[in-house]
Amino acid sequence: MIQARRFALAADRPDVPGVDRAVALRHDGERMSAVASRRPSPIAWLIAPALLLFVLFFVLPFAVMVAMSFFSSNPIGNPHAVVTTRHYQRFIEDSAGIFHDALWETLRIGVITTIVSLLIGYPLAHWMARMQSRLGHALALMAVITPLLTGIVVRTFAWMTILQDKGVINTTLISWGVIHKPLPLMYNEFGTVVALVHIYVPFMVLTLIGVIGRIDGRLEQAARSLGAGRLRAFVEVTLPLSLPGVLAGSLLVFALSISAYVTPSLMGGTAVLTLPMLIAQQVNTSFNPGFAGALGVVLLSVSLAIVIAYNRILARLAGEQGLA
Amino acid sequence: MSVALNKRPFDLGKAAYLGLNLLLLAFLLVPIAIILVFALNPTPYISFPPVGITLHWFDKFFETGDFMRSLWLSLWIAACVLVLSVVIGGACALALARGHLPGQAFLTAFFMSPLMLPAILTGLALFQSYLLAGIGRPVWGLIMAHTLIAVPYVLRTTLAVLHNFDRRIEEAASVLGASPARVFFEVTLPLIQPGVFAGGVFAFIVSFDQFPVSLFLVVPKGETLPVVLFNYMKFDLDGAIAAASMVSILLALAVVLTLEKLIGLKAYVKL
Amino acid sequence: MISRHRVSRRTMLRAGAGLAAAASFAAPAILHAETKTLKITTWGGKWGDIMKATVLPGFEKEHGCTVSADQAFPYVPKLQVSPRNDPLYDVLHTNSNEQWLAVVDGLVMDKITAKEVPNVADVYPYAVSDKIVGVSIFTSAIGLGYRTDKGITPPKSWKDLADPKLAGARGGYLIPVNSLGQCHLMMLGKVYGKGLQDLDAAYKALEQLKPIKLVDFTGQMEKMLLSAEVVEGVIHDSGVYRYEGANRQPVDFCSPSEGVMALEQVLNVTPGSKVKELAFAYIDYMLRPDVQKLLAEGVWYSPANKKVKLEEKYDAKLLTTPQKVATLIQPDWKWYNARKDDIDARVTKILKG
Repeated sequence: MIQARRFALAADRPDVPGVDRAVALRHDGERMSAVASRRPSPIAWLIAPALLLFVLFFVLPFAVMVAMSFFSSNPIGNPHAVVTTRHYQRFIEDSAGIFHDALWETLRIGVITTIVSLLIGYPLAHWMARMQSRLGHALALMAVITPLLTGIVVRTFAWMTILQDKGVINTTLISWGVIHKPLPLMYNEFGTVVALVHIYVPFMVLTLIGVIGRIDGRLEQAARSLGAGRLRAFVEVTLPLSLPGVLAGSLLVFALSISAYVTPSLMGGTAVLTLPMLIAQQVNTSFNPGFAGALGVVLLSVSLAIVIAYNRILARLAGEQGLA
Repeated sequence: MSVALNKRPFDLGKAAYLGLNLLLLAFLLVPIAIILVFALNPTPYISFPPVGITLHWFDKFFETGDFMRSLWLSLWIAACVLVLSVVIGGACALALARGHLPGQAFLTAFFMSPLMLPAILTGLALFQSYLLAGIGRPVWGLIMAHTLIAVPYVLRTTLAVLHNFDRRIEEAASVLGASPARVFFEVTLPLIQPGVFAGGVFAFIVSFDQFPVSLFLVVPKGETLPVVLFNYMKFDLDGAIAAASMVSILLALAVVLTLEKLIGLKAYVKL
Repeated sequence: MISRHRVSRRTMLRAGAGLAAAASFAAPAILHAETKTLKITTWGGKWGDIMKATVLPGFEKEHGCTVSADQAFPYVPKLQVSPRNDPLYDVLHTNSNEQWLAVVDGLVMDKITAKEVPNVADVYPYAVSDKIVGVSIFTSAIGLGYRTDKGITPPKSWKDLADPKLAGARGGYLIPVNSLGQCHLMMLGKVYGKGLQDLDAAYKALEQLKPIKLVDFTGQMEKMLLSAEVVEGVIHDSGVYRYEGANRQPVDFCSPSEGVMALEQVLNVTPGSKVKELAFAYIDYMLRPDVQKLLAEGVWYSPANKKVKLEEKYDAKLLTTPQKVATLIQPDWKWYNARKDDIDARVTKILKG
């Protein structure tokens, strides 16, 4: 650590003052990585274990699943299974008028959850990264991590108890005479998003905290001492530097919330139907893994397209290529 | 940092900032308080307001063999997943950030994809593949499945830190005569540590709390805690699950705090 | 109350046992090749407790075998994935609708007769009727559960669930995932239309039940009733009757005048099972009067074996005479499953809109 700091200071350039220095440092870093050689370096071999893991335990099983999605039923269990594209046709035609809505609803809930998690997670992460007290930091960290440890189903039941008609909020408000009929806090998209945000904010915070913590506090101070307001110093220095964290956190939360099924099915009641809920239904109760696989392929394709587009946009915003 | 702020006796902006953050923490913690209330409430179903205090549900949790067996199995698996995914994911992040690999954007998105596929399908596909390969459902199969889901977290959080990383520090170190190994252990590793730490915490938790992937991969008598709890709740929705949750919180917090102690999380905050 | 000391010591002991168990998974099951293993599925909860404590050890002792009981859902999807000549289970225990889905893929046998399982000779006709594949070892009655302390008139008919006063406080099941929900839908067709298969009438009636709280499992409906989140809802008798004596709760069960639907606990054998004899022996064992009595009184299920004599308080409420059994309505699952996808889509749309 001390070593690292010494090298960091050695790399500093004392000749450029104030805000300009902070901004220059940032641009400098960007230039450096842009100039860096494009030839694969020996470090590239470090990708091998991950590639092996993914090929054996993801690509191959996924290929099996995709193959299954082109069979009328499981060809291993059922010798009468035939090759068909009907699962995909069923989704595309959507004669019942629920599948396309479900896809749209899945993505909408994913985006809303991501935005709200970011709005909640960023201030928390910023506060914690800049916190001076060691004890305060440890306590806040525990508070952020604890919700992750409760177990997904138990945590969702806790939210049900808070939000349902006879739940904590409605019971309390009714007994105070503030309301007479329970507020519709769950069995809808609102309750679903609240519970999802609660689960995923910690992922956002922990991702951001590392990135914001790595941003040299002196940069913001330098900007401030030269008369930039607190807000301007934040917007011009800290925020741009933390964009990789925003990207990482948002992608995690988005990926997690579009693939969640336990929470929406418990919190959403009849009002919410997402693609992962349909997939779970097809697997668990309609015994149609072929159609479930087809729905999975659709969801994965759409979300990968979104993730790649998002990567591109944010990379451009950050004024840098290869940010992903 | 505090020099500028201490000029005014009461800083409204700062107080509002503090207030906001405490409020946000409260949002995160209220459901935990509710779970604690369930765990102590004698009513055999989840209800509000509570009618008393009992340790009956904790007793039931500790006396139920299935719960205890699965709790230890889950902890053991999560520990393996933690180690595996930190090594694999950390190495992968370095390769992606430093290796000048072609198709880097594609690779990064590719390594995220297990998170985007509903995990129940991942579990089902793995189960199918294991059976096709004739290996049945060994514990290592479950560990690899969890590792697959955990690696993207480590990768994302490490990449995020690596990205802000001032490469000149490494370069300065090697100019000053440090060997590549020394550069890695004394410069690179300490600097990416917060990302690896966050990823490691995620990996542990994702495995410990993993339900949909495990669903198809556990064998009778070898179920993980979330699977046991889920099936328990189908029939009994009593305080035992809340007690299980509280015990999990304490155990997992202990693990996280030990990690922090070992790695020294605080170190990165003031670089 | 427990002392902290005791807990921690017990925890430590379990820690050792747990680790040992975890380590032993690596050892292949083939080590026990001399003793046969019967692979079954079974429920959790109170039922599972009795099975593990008494019923399964009893069977293992009698037959010198080991039973590996899977208590983690979902069973049929797991069975589907495994090869036919080496199925994951020898005996599949599910509700009737799932057996009918499984038999289409050839995952379970069509019929089980007294030739393979002698005790089948003693069961009520419903347990091996043409509405059943395999054999039903118990049944519950699906009717209405309600709160006795919330000032509602005790229901008499299925139509009472549509009472406008119950808006938002009535409960049902997610029709795509739960057979009680599917039974309820068919019952709506019978009550409001021409019969169980009058889906148009059923859809119309379902529309009238909005807003309704839907759950995916009976255990959850029990809890919704107990916490008064639901004051009247579709449930099986067992889910209400079990709260008696010291566990008394302000809930009661109504068998509606139009009849109750059967919720059968069905056992069936997989055609590829390598221990078929043992599988049949297990079903026979489960139908034996002493085992039937134990489980029936443990979880308030009506036994399928006519020869079972239950204690007075169980006998009074459960379906234990030919007359009472005759009130059971068994739906045609083959017909329903053939339309399941369309029905699922339709009801999802109705309830969402």
